[in-house]
Amino acid sequence: MADPLNTSTQSFDALYRDSARDLYAYVRTLLGDDASAEDVTALAFERAYRRRSSFDSGRGSQRGWLFGIARNAALDELRRRRRAAPLLGELPDETTAAPDEEAELAARRTTVRAALAALPPREREIVALKFHGGLSNAELAAVLGTSESNAGTRVHRAVTKLREACHAPS
Amino acid sequence: MRHRDPLTPDEARELDALERALAGERVAPDLRELEELVYDLRATAPQMSPGFAARLERDVADGFPDPAERPRLRRPRRWVLLPAAGVLAAALIALVVALGQSGSDTPVRGLADSAPAAKPAPAGNSAGGATAQSEAAPQRSATPAPAARDTLTAPAAVAAAPASRPSFAAQPPVAKSSAPRKVQRAAELVLETPEDKVAATSDDVIRTVDRFDGIVASSSIGSDDQAGGEGTFDLRIPTARLDEALAALSKLGHVAERHQSLEDITGSFTSAQDRLSDARAERRGLLRALGRATTKAQLDSLRARLRDVRSTISRLDGDLAALRRRADLSHVSLTVRGVKGSGGGATGSGHWSPGDAARDALRVLEVMAGVALVTLAIAVPLGLLGLAIALTARGLRRRGRERALDPA
Repeated sequence: MADPLNTSTQSFDALYRDSARDLYAYVRTLLGDDASAEDVTALAFERAYRRRSSFDSGRGSQRGWLFGIARNAALDELRRRRRAAPLLGELPDETTAAPDEEAELAARRTTVRAALAALPPREREIVALKFHGGLSNAELAAVLGTSESNAGTRVHRAVTKLREACHAPS
Repeated sequence: MRHRDPLTPDEARELDALERALAGERVAPDLRELEELVYDLRATAPQMSPGFAARLERDVADGFPDPAERPRLRRPRRWVLLPAAGVLAAALIALVVALGQSGSDTPVRGLADSAPAAKPAPAGNSAGGATAQSEAAPQRSATPAPAARDTLTAPAAVAAAPASRPSFAAQPPVAKSSAPRKVQRAAELVLETPEDKVAATSDDVIRTVDRFDGIVASSSIGSDDQAGGEGTFDLRIPTARLDEALAALSKLGHVAERHQSLEDITGSFTSAQDRLSDARAERRGLLRALGRATTKAQLDSLRARLRDVRSTISRLDGDLAALRRRADLSHVSLTVRGVKGSGGGATGSGHWSPGDAARDALRVLEVMAGVALVTLAIAVPLGLLGLAIALTARGLRRRGRERALDPA
């Protein structure tokens, strides 16, 4: 079975460039603070690098495999800390908007951040994996250890809760 | 959590809109809200700081050269060494068991047959005190020169010891007390020899008995039994030379069994001696009284008593002589047993033949198979147990991780 990670460091480098930002975003959303997110992200890449020979392309994509490693590391960190991660942190807002739209857009995104922070951890993780990590439903299913259809259902329910939270009166 | 949750058509449509928005495609106007939500979620995704991004970039480029400085969230999996340790322990146990079994193939029940045969009876032990030893040792010696004789029935006494000999003075070496003691010794010896050497070994037995001034009281040699032939000997060996004779006899074949017994008959001997002295003293007194007798009635009475005393003295003399013989000559029961394929690692001639090599190789293979079997018998349950523990630990670890997402 072909396994590009087995033989090529360039393949791992490509995986890193394709996934680093999304992976950090997911871990940061899950853990809630920059320092832990940086540690876990670096650890996940290091583990993936050292275990790259164990990657089996028959069991899923490289991104799914990498996010699975990161999820385990993040959950270990969460378990160690034994506290729920606060979502709202010092999220940099790098979006640009026209001056007349700026106020409305900023308010809307603040609402989205607050709604995401208010979600239960499991739904928050689903949203982070799907929209910050950019995983397909198949990759999501592989990371969560569930079926693809169940992953889609859980994404829909999480998004529904997020929409409800966004529309809830503050 | 693997059960299917079918989506309604509206839900499926919304999910499809989410995927389209993520892919940058247009969505239906009534689902524009979802599209904006996706954009907002993507826009609010946390970003790496430039410093961390540069550090990570450098680590990836260098191949993470210094892992010791990085935090470890999981300890090394030392449990993976458990199966190997279990297999090693099982192999060691199997080896010990196999070696123990192999070592017990040859019966070893006592001292080597060249060791002193019997220990002295406790001092002051009265007549009838007896001890016994059972010995067998895998001793082998050169088989005597073959003598063609299929069946032989020897007369009762093949070799006679000197009829009169100062053997009464010979004390058995086992009774080394200050007072002279009378000890009756007996031994049973079973020798194994190749079946075609039974007759020759029997000849050697007789020669050995002659050499030690012993007596073959009876012997019977046959080759018609299934064991490959057997010779039985009822021997009388001078007690003083019994140990030496047993050592010599033991060298004529493989000692399969050896028993020795010892009985202290000092009390019986002393008692007979005392009664004999009393009888003689009585006879002397009667003879003196006979010289002084004056009437016929006195004479008749004294002569009758003298006859009784003489009879008693004669009987006691016989008893004493019998006791002396019991002490002077030890009874040895010897069996020479022919064994098919006797010789183990070497033939009876002492050469190591290809057949012996094949038998040895087979034995080695048997031991190895036994070791492998015992190893498997231990390793398989251990392996299954280890696998169950590993799977349980993995499941518990997974559940523990999932619990980290539960609200505190």
